[in-house]
Amino acid sequence: MKHVKSLITRNLKESMKKGGCGECQTSCQSACKTSCTVGNQSCEQLSK
Amino acid sequence: MIHAYKNNGYNIVLDVNSGSVHVVDDVVFDLVKIIEDKLKRTYGTAAAPEGQTTVITGELDRLYKGVLAKTDLASKYSTEDIKEGIEEILELRAAQVLFTDDVYEGYVDDFQNRETVVKALCLNVAHDCNLRCKYCFADEGEYHGRRALMSEEVGKAALDFLVKNSGGRKNLEVDFFGGEPLMNWEVVKKLVEYGRSIEKEYDKNFRFTITTNGTLLNDEILKFVNKEMGNIVLSIDGRKEVNDSMRPRAGGQGCYDDIVPKYQKVAESRHQLRYFVRGTFTHANLDFSEDVKHLAELGFKQISVEPVVASPEDWYAFKDEDIPIICEEYDKLAKYYIEKHKEGKGFNFFHFNIDLEGGPCVAKRLSGCGSGCEYLGVTPWGDLYPCHQFVGNEDFIMGNVFDGITRPDIRDMFKKSNVYSRPECQKCFARYYCSGGCAANAYNFNGDINATYKHGCELQRKRIECAIMIKAALAE
Repeated sequence: MKHVKSLITRNLKESMKKGGCGECQTSCQSACKTSCTVGNQSCEQLSK
Repeated sequence: MIHAYKNNGYNIVLDVNSGSVHVVDDVVFDLVKIIEDKLKRTYGTAAAPEGQTTVITGELDRLYKGVLAKTDLASKYSTEDIKEGIEEILELRAAQVLFTDDVYEGYVDDFQNRETVVKALCLNVAHDCNLRCKYCFADEGEYHGRRALMSEEVGKAALDFLVKNSGGRKNLEVDFFGGEPLMNWEVVKKLVEYGRSIEKEYDKNFRFTITTNGTLLNDEILKFVNKEMGNIVLSIDGRKEVNDSMRPRAGGQGCYDDIVPKYQKVAESRHQLRYFVRGTFTHANLDFSEDVKHLAELGFKQISVEPVVASPEDWYAFKDEDIPIICEEYDKLAKYYIEKHKEGKGFNFFHFNIDLEGGPCVAKRLSGCGSGCEYLGVTPWGDLYPCHQFVGNEDFIMGNVFDGITRPDIRDMFKKSNVYSRPECQKCFARYYCSGGCAANAYNFNGDINATYKHGCELQRKRIECAIMIKAALAE
C-alpha cells in the first residue's frame, strides 16, 4: 500500500476461539497495584 | 470504531475492535473518519459484511463523489491521492482490519457466568511500616485500622484457602504486601517454605512476589528472594529530593541514599529482569518524566512510575488543570524512551509495555483484573477483601481464610463488573487495554465499582496512545 503501513493486522475476535483459560497473571500482581493494565500482560498459552 | 490520532509526527489509526494498528499518511488520516461516517450512514455499520473479502465494485466511485461533495479535500490533495486513499481504506475494511464491529458482549457474559476460581492473593503480611509516605493509600501501613503482623498460622491458612479454592488452575500467585512486608520477614520465609512443601501434593506452582520499600533489605533476604520470588517490586519515586520529600522515615529523614545502592544490587543480581523499581508521582512532581529518566540513568531497566490516586482534598492530588501537563510529560517520556532504545540503551516503562501482537485474549481484556473473585486481598488477621485497595473498608469484607467466602454476593457483584457494565467505556477506544479500569478507584471516586475514575481514564488513554506510537517509531 502507498498510503498505509499496517503495523499490526490482527483480529482480537480470533482469541474467542481458544481464549478464556484464566491461566494468565492477575494484572495487579505485576507492578502497578493502582490501575488496571491488562494490555501489557502476556497470554499464558502463547508464552508456553 | 476507530481511534485516529497524531503523535510525535505519526498519524495512527487504531481499529479498536480488532486491535489492528495502521500508520497512515495525511490523505488517509483526513479521509478515514469521513469514510467511516459515510459507510455507517449507508449500511448502518462501517464494518465489511460477513464473508466480503474484496472491495465492492462502484463503492470507490460512490465514496469519492461523496468526499468531493461534502469536503474541501480536493483543494488539499490530488484526485489520484484521494482515490488511492479511499481504495486502501476499503481494502483494509475488506480484510477485517478496519471498521470492525464489537461482537464481544454476549461472549463476555458467557465467560463471566463460568465458575471462577481464586488464583491470586495479596497477603498483607504487615499492617505496619517504617516509612511515612505522604500519599500512602494504606494509611502508612495501618489501612485505617490497627498495626498488626500476620501470624504464620493465618498465612498458612491463606495458602490452604488458595489451594482449596483454585480448582484446576496450576499457577497460583501470592504477593507479599503491606505496609512493609520485610517487617515480618520470618513469616514470609516460613510461608514460602510452606507453599513449596504443598505444591507437589496438590499439583500447584506458587509464584511468589514481594513489594518492599527496601529499607530492611539485606544480602540474606536478597538471596532468598532471588531463589524464590518471581518478581520484586522496589519502591522509589525517582530523584532524591522528590523521593525523600514524599517517602520520609518515621523520624523525617529521607531513604534515597540507603535504598538506591541496594536496588542496584537487586537489579544486577536478577540480571535486570523480574523486578521493577516503582514510583508514584503526584501534583508535587508533575515533571515526573525527569524521575523516570533519573531511574534509567541509575541503570534500572524495569521502571514503573505511576500517577497517585488521591482524594481531591489531598494537597498532592491532581487538579483538572494538571492533566494536560501530565499528558505532555508522557509525550516527553515517550520520545526519551525511543531515543534510548535506538541508542541500544533501552529500558522498559511498565505503562508503555503493550503487547499489540499477542497480549491477553479478549475475554481477559473485557473482564478485568479479577478482583473480588479470582484475586483477593488478605489482612494480617485473615479477613478477605476484593483486593488490597478495599482493605479497611469493612463493607467489603468477603469472609476469612478459615471459613472461606461468606459473602458470595460481593464476589458475584465483582464477577459481573466488566467493560460492558460501565457505560463510559462504550465510547472509549482504550477499553481493551484497561478492561474498564480499577474497580477500587471507581468505587472510591463514585461509590460504584461500575463507574469510571475520570483522571485515571484520561491518563490511561494518553499512555496507550504513546505506547502505540512507540511501536510505530521502533518499527522503522
